[in-house]
Amino acid sequence: MIQDHMHPMIEKVISNIEKVMIGKRNVAELSIIALLAEGHVLLEDVPGVGKTMMVRALAKSVGANFRRIQFTPDLLPSDVTGVSIYNPKEMEFQFRPGPIMGNIILADEINRTSPKTQSALLEGMEESSVTIDGVTHHLEKPFFVMATQNPIEYEGTYPLPEAQLDRFLLKMKMGYPDMKEEIEVLDRAQKVRPIDDLEPVIDLMELRDLQAQIKEVHVDETIKRYIVDLANRTRTHDSVYLGVSPRGSIALMKAAQVYAFMYGRDYVLPDDIQYLTGPVFVHRIILKSEAKFEGISAEDVVNRVIARTPVPVQRYVK
Amino acid sequence: MTSRKVPKDLASFLLYAFGFLLLWEWLRPLEQLTDTSNIIIFILFIIVSLFLSYIGAPLFISSFIKCAFIVFAIHFLYFEGSFFQTEWVSMFIKDLLENIGAVVERDWSNLSNTFRSLLFFVLLWLMAYLIQYWLIARRQIFIFFFMTLIYITVLDTFSPYEAGAAIIRTVISGFAIMGMLTFYRLLDKEFVQKKPTLSRKWMLPLTIMIVISVSFGLAAPKAEPIWPDPVPFFKSYGKGSGGEGGGVRSIGYDEDDSRLGGPFIGNDQLVFTAEVESRHYWKVETKDIYTGKGWDTSGSREYRSQFDGEDEVPIFSFFEHAGVEKEEEKSILNTNIHDRYIVYPLGIKRIDAPLHPNSSYSLENYTEKIHSFLGDRPSSFYNYSVVFDAPKFSVTALMKASEAPAFDSDFLDRYTQLPDGLPQRVRELASEITAGKNTWYEKVKALEAYLTGSNFTYDQKEVAIPGPEDDYVDQFLFDTQIGYCDNFSTSMIVMARSLGIPTRWVKGYTEGDYKGLGQNNRKIFEVTNNNAHSWVEVYFPEIGWVPFEPTKSFSNNVHFNYDYSTQSNSQTQVEQPKSEVKDKPELLEEKAEKASTSFSFKKLISSLKVFWEKIWMWLIGAIIVLAILVLVIYRIRGKWLPYYLALRYKWSKKDDNFQRAYLLLLRELKRYGLPRKEGQTLRDYAEYVDRFFSTTDMTRITARYEKIIYRGELNEGSWKETKKLWENLIKKTIA
Repeated sequence: MIQDHMHPMIEKVISNIEKVMIGKRNVAELSIIALLAEGHVLLEDVPGVGKTMMVRALAKSVGANFRRIQFTPDLLPSDVTGVSIYNPKEMEFQFRPGPIMGNIILADEINRTSPKTQSALLEGMEESSVTIDGVTHHLEKPFFVMATQNPIEYEGTYPLPEAQLDRFLLKMKMGYPDMKEEIEVLDRAQKVRPIDDLEPVIDLMELRDLQAQIKEVHVDETIKRYIVDLANRTRTHDSVYLGVSPRGSIALMKAAQVYAFMYGRDYVLPDDIQYLTGPVFVHRIILKSEAKFEGISAEDVVNRVIARTPVPVQRYVK
Repeated sequence: MTSRKVPKDLASFLLYAFGFLLLWEWLRPLEQLTDTSNIIIFILFIIVSLFLSYIGAPLFISSFIKCAFIVFAIHFLYFEGSFFQTEWVSMFIKDLLENIGAVVERDWSNLSNTFRSLLFFVLLWLMAYLIQYWLIARRQIFIFFFMTLIYITVLDTFSPYEAGAAIIRTVISGFAIMGMLTFYRLLDKEFVQKKPTLSRKWMLPLTIMIVISVSFGLAAPKAEPIWPDPVPFFKSYGKGSGGEGGGVRSIGYDEDDSRLGGPFIGNDQLVFTAEVESRHYWKVETKDIYTGKGWDTSGSREYRSQFDGEDEVPIFSFFEHAGVEKEEEKSILNTNIHDRYIVYPLGIKRIDAPLHPNSSYSLENYTEKIHSFLGDRPSSFYNYSVVFDAPKFSVTALMKASEAPAFDSDFLDRYTQLPDGLPQRVRELASEITAGKNTWYEKVKALEAYLTGSNFTYDQKEVAIPGPEDDYVDQFLFDTQIGYCDNFSTSMIVMARSLGIPTRWVKGYTEGDYKGLGQNNRKIFEVTNNNAHSWVEVYFPEIGWVPFEPTKSFSNNVHFNYDYSTQSNSQTQVEQPKSEVKDKPELLEEKAEKASTSFSFKKLISSLKVFWEKIWMWLIGAIIVLAILVLVIYRIRGKWLPYYLALRYKWSKKDDNFQRAYLLLLRELKRYGLPRKEGQTLRDYAEYVDRFFSTTDMTRITARYEKIIYRGELNEGSWKETKKLWENLIKKTIA
């Protein structure tokens, strides 16, 4: 792939994260994409591969306020959003903000809690606001949720309904580090926790500024048609029960805008789209049960769709 | 140049063998055509020379062996006694010195055979060296092969040497050697390691190809040469007239007609100009014996009658008869002929040569050829006039005339003579044509109509010569159906004679080319050698000799008087008398058919049909050829299309062209064998292409193109800048 030069600010953030996260550049990249696209990330992986570290490093690098919610089956929505408590001294209810009132939130093991609690978080993710006791509290920007879930086959899980899955911009996997990387992880962990030394490299103002710039990245009609074509093909695919929603198309476009911007371009290429189609689409597709029996995965479907969808090589003229 | 080592393998042995066979072809005809004998010694010498070269003998050893061979051979050929006696050596040296002296004096005829043989050995030595040089150093033999072919074909054409087998041998060894050399040339050029499998892959198809083409060549039917043996033609051309029988006949007057056939060569040399009252043919002589190949006379040309200018010409043409109206006419001639004979019209009565006093004539009684004399000396007259009766034959009289054929048998035998070998089918055809016709006149007219009909084609060039077994008439009527006046007239005579009608062959000239009016409204004609002609005269009892014209597109101005029409002159070609219609039942059918096809629309369709039948083969052939051509051009588009495209966009400065040019590039790359997958992005593809060509051009051009289509940004001059890259790439797609 022809690599354009990465945007210097983003490059700084990524290399900062890389100080603590070894060999996970693509995960860092995708996380930043989601952050800059004002979306949220669903990380599906087993515990202990560095999900929390990833989020904390990201939060620290951008100087953002980091919160963590450990979802358990007995967690209540108010544990997430916050609660009004009667203050006898002041003779009134006082709002005590929950962990959602942060910039970067790690929602750990989101599928372990009840749907009621899940939806409290997801509402916040979608609306950028939470309503408690009839009072709407706007969330500070940037607001970025990184949810993790254990693979759904695990016991004691409440799978996220598709409507809620759809609210995540990207879904990704961390994966285990390879041997060399893991040894390096051990080396580093021997002395101090590197995360403690991490300094912010950009501040929230700059981050917001970047987000504003990214909205200006040109997405040509030609590319938009390509995105819609891809989305459409997932809907009509033989193995697919439910394809990608228009929200998915929007997500893909936004993610691609970030990606293009990240590589110093002010226009989106089909290459950007192709790179991001997997992370953006996979969790939005529900396969037919026959397909599952045949061992087809959503990744396979997406890869096939990408391979079959003609890349536009001529400018679309209305 | 010859430093290349000769590999001693089977392949180079074969090369040498084929080279030897080619050289041998040069020696083969010598024994037959020259007084060279003991040719085997020379062949042995070539074998020895080539073998020495093959085994790569050092120069001095091979030279020594060759010299020894030469000396020994010369001794064997020319000297008696033992080889080791020195006696002959001194003789040989003496002979050598004498001959060198003769060479210096350019006294070629006095060279001795010994010396000639020596020179021939030297020549063969050189040739052997050349063969080796061509085969091993140059790897090219075409020139030698080509020269061998020319040599053989020329000898075959101009000498008694029959090169039928030689040409096959030459083709086989020539193609084999050229095919092998091409293989070695390729190996040398591409630095390919020689492997047995490789040469098998080449040699096997080569052998198969040669075997197949030679066997096809042998098995395929071969047309007899339409162009005759050119030697007699060249000889006759030198002599100025067609003399050798069966050769090309130069038009013009010629006494020998014993072998007819072959093409006619046009010649517009002026023979005479004539001033006439009405157009008519000019006779020179008549012939009566048909030999199966041509014409001859039954009696001696020396049997002659003498007469003077005042005398009536003693030629009988026709009777005084109510059926023959006569009108006296006079024609004046200015001749260019130096042949000392008179050309005259039918019905000649008197010859006036006022400018040639003391003129006299002698008539060949058998041929009716009139020779002119001044005193006793044969002389050609350049100016004379002929007085003759222009006849007008009554058709009624002609019809009646045949009803009482009372001839003396000698006359009948002479003019109904036919060769014994005349194929029966000619007689059958004659009876078939004249079936239902009762009178001679009708029969003769039917024959004439048949020959001038659409079955036959008039042509002066593509005319066959009858082979030894062929009958001239039979060949024309049934096989070729292409010919000129001799074919038509002879055929008509033979068929008429087979029906027992006395006929003779007349030679002379047509009326010539009309040039305008002279004094007293007399018409002036120019007669050239092109107007030489032959036609038919039929004898009708009590009428006389009546001319007929069976040759297509010619018409003899003989007047027939159809009695039912009031004195109107009609020509021979004009429709038949009414009375004949009754004799032809089929004509009624024709009439009926005519009525039903009176619509011109139907005629159009039928003529279109005829036209289609004529051309459909050509049309389909042309379409196939065209389709093949288009296919070939399409298949090799890789060779020319990129050039064309490069040219097309080279001079264009418009930036709009960038898109089109880029898409074309994609197409060309695909054709080249680098297809882009459907879901492959341009960047990815560009990288792939660049990896393939080891360039960065595609990536660079693609980066610009991406901006255009995904950014909608067309910068000024972007095409100009990328043109070079584009050209580089498009040229790479030329496979």
